[in-house]
Amino acid sequence: MSYNKVVKGKIGDDKFFLGNEAIVRGALESGIDIYTYYPGTPSSEVGETFMEIFKEVGMKWVESSINEKVAIEVAGAAYARGATTMVGMKNVGLNVASDPLFALATTRPKNKNSAMVILVADDPQQHSSAVEMDSRYFLKIFKIPALEPSNPQECLEFTKEAFKISRELKLPVILRTVTMVSHARSNVVIGEIKPSEIEEKFDLSKEINVALRLYFLELKEEHIYSRLNKALEMSENSSLNTIQNENAKNQFNLGIITSGVSYGYVNEALKFLEFEAPILKLGFINPLPEKKIVEFLKRFKQIFVVEENDTFLETQILAIAQKNGLEVKIHGKDPFSYFKKKTLLSIVGELNPTKVVLALIKITNLKPKIDLRQIDKKNYDIMTRTPVLCAGCPHRTTGYALQKAIKKLKSKISKEIYFYQDIGCYTLLALPPWSFANVKYCMGSSIALAQGVAQTNDSLNIAIIGDGTFFHSGIPALLNGVYNKAPILILILDNGWIGMTGQQPHQGSDIRYYKEGIYKKSINLEEFLRGTGTNVNVIKHYDNYDESYSKKLKDLIYESGLDVLENGNLHVIVIKDECIQKSVKRQAPLIRYVDKEICNNCGLCYSQYGCSAITEREDIAYIDPNLCLGCGICEEICPNNAINREEL
Amino acid sequence: MNFESYTIVLTGLGGQGLILLLQILGNALMNEGYKVITSETHGLSQRGGKVTCFLRFGKDQYAPIPLLASADMIIALEESCILDVLKYAKPDKSTNLIISTYEKHEFDTEYPPLEYILEILCENSENIHFIPVNEIAVKSTGNLKPMNIVVLGYTLRFLPIKKEVVENTIHDYFSGKKLEINLKAYKEGLNL
Repeated sequence: MSYNKVVKGKIGDDKFFLGNEAIVRGALESGIDIYTYYPGTPSSEVGETFMEIFKEVGMKWVESSINEKVAIEVAGAAYARGATTMVGMKNVGLNVASDPLFALATTRPKNKNSAMVILVADDPQQHSSAVEMDSRYFLKIFKIPALEPSNPQECLEFTKEAFKISRELKLPVILRTVTMVSHARSNVVIGEIKPSEIEEKFDLSKEINVALRLYFLELKEEHIYSRLNKALEMSENSSLNTIQNENAKNQFNLGIITSGVSYGYVNEALKFLEFEAPILKLGFINPLPEKKIVEFLKRFKQIFVVEENDTFLETQILAIAQKNGLEVKIHGKDPFSYFKKKTLLSIVGELNPTKVVLALIKITNLKPKIDLRQIDKKNYDIMTRTPVLCAGCPHRTTGYALQKAIKKLKSKISKEIYFYQDIGCYTLLALPPWSFANVKYCMGSSIALAQGVAQTNDSLNIAIIGDGTFFHSGIPALLNGVYNKAPILILILDNGWIGMTGQQPHQGSDIRYYKEGIYKKSINLEEFLRGTGTNVNVIKHYDNYDESYSKKLKDLIYESGLDVLENGNLHVIVIKDECIQKSVKRQAPLIRYVDKEICNNCGLCYSQYGCSAITEREDIAYIDPNLCLGCGICEEICPNNAINREEL
Repeated sequence: MNFESYTIVLTGLGGQGLILLLQILGNALMNEGYKVITSETHGLSQRGGKVTCFLRFGKDQYAPIPLLASADMIIALEESCILDVLKYAKPDKSTNLIISTYEKHEFDTEYPPLEYILEILCENSENIHFIPVNEIAVKSTGNLKPMNIVVLGYTLRFLPIKKEVVENTIHDYFSGKKLEINLKAYKEGLNL
């Protein structure tokens, strides 16, 4: 499917591409050899597409790496040896990758085809992220160039440009997108796919590839600043930094500076207000073209800066104006005000055309025909819907059993119990009816967080982590805990896949059930854990309808918890129950229904167990046949045996 | 109707097939010669929660998110979800509202009464279409899933696109038994 879509086609064909697919096409048109990534919304489709096509298009290698740090390292050495490489991740992935990337950016490969583009997809509004992080400040730390496309067509073109810049400067280049660019779908005109030009002979001399004080300080000028200077020159002359509506005039002497997806919002806002203003659209966002910006600022009395999230552009534009002695009023988010209501635009949340219109009205006092402020205030919705685990999700059963086990533990011992959460669908166990969360940071942190309290307080501390996240960055924390004899209970919720981002495989996934599995060797999580010498219990609930599964799980958690408390032993429980989106249970032609005569509406199935397919209707429980996937847990837990099977 | 710039807002619950509907319709409109842009949100926060997507087409490249009060059509695959996006309806009440009669109740929140929904819809539009798409999909194909394609078929009466173009696009997205079912659902929607 992906091959026909992304690879096939003639030069000049119109394709209906997701921004992420356009990035893949752009890389193919740049002769890419290697793509490494860790899945993360909104960047995942790039890796998935490459994974599907890489053998057929003759790329050297594609991998879904164990984490972003490893992804950068695998691609980094390939880059040093002369490969055209790309690495993909979401915004917070760059934090994980930042350690090797900082060193990598100081090296300077000698091989002709060395090029590296790093896709970093930010997520304003946190549609699918734990934090709303603006990755652009990293550009100043790494001292590397960056481009920001505004739509899928630009995703293709900017990717090609990024490879060109990287190949020329021998510096990694970041391609920064946001959700509304990576996940926009639009007409994209394609070019020609370029074959790889990788050479079998290469130079890996240590003087240029070893980030070490010996080489680094002496060569700082040459290795970092001279290349940045060249990048600045490129930015000044780049066609990606352009002035739109060059000759537009308005009575407010107002010009607009913007970049990325915000450019589209500015255009919509101007059209709605029937207002004209020149726009400096920045596509080359680091280093910024100072001269070009000065020339633009000189023409106006007022400038409006429109950008997603932080004031990355605005702060620099303020500095450029000051440095060049320009008296121009700069409107935007105001980097020195943190009062949301006082600024024209907020650093919190995603922009949209309406927000830009309202800000422009504040600057200009224009009165449009439709009062969007009034419409923005309308609120008819009285139905709140929090995100829920899928019907049939194994994490729900874990939550239910855990709840029962905790109740039993509390009745036996008078100690506090705390929960440490991680990044995955199971984070939703932090919400009612479970509320299993006291501390949560980032990928892989739960196991170490549990240790922090367990080592300083006499309580039961339980880490909840998924299998994908455990492989990503939970392993060092586990070893730390085993070594330090931390009295904690670790629940590894092993659903077999990286569930949250779309069931991508990880190092422990069953290689029989995904296409590229034929190139992989699955790591046996259980054996790995036993190798640490700690207490490991494994409970399996795959395709068997074990009618006492949730009770067995409860008992196991209870027994292990008790041993942690009474004897100070570290316990790991691996709960093997496959993600319902992948499981064969989903395919089983068997759903459940409520026997109206027997149900006494105790509410256990819909409120305590909280299955999203079950609600209360006409004073009894009702299973929505549109949603039930037939996992059968409700049948097991119903105290009145009111839930029956129905063949479809 | 102004097809130089046309905006559709699509809402429903995660898992209802909104993105596929968006993809097929967008792709078909591109095949018909329009500039199209859609926006989607993927990932965890959408499962079972409300999802809102946009599809815009016309002569130019538009932004992925439209202005409030600018939608030509709003589609809701779950009844109460329509309330969330009525801000996008045009003040002149010309926006076509296409609403599935499917109600997804939550045990801890009261579902808005139909009278309330109807009152608010009438305040915002003169073109309201309620369709029992779930029942239609199950009845015509024996399967609930292609409910989104029934809706796709229904929308065509308002859009400048030939039904053969959409049909050909459906062929690009499905094969075998699934294709058969979805074509049936599509025709059912067309002929409603």
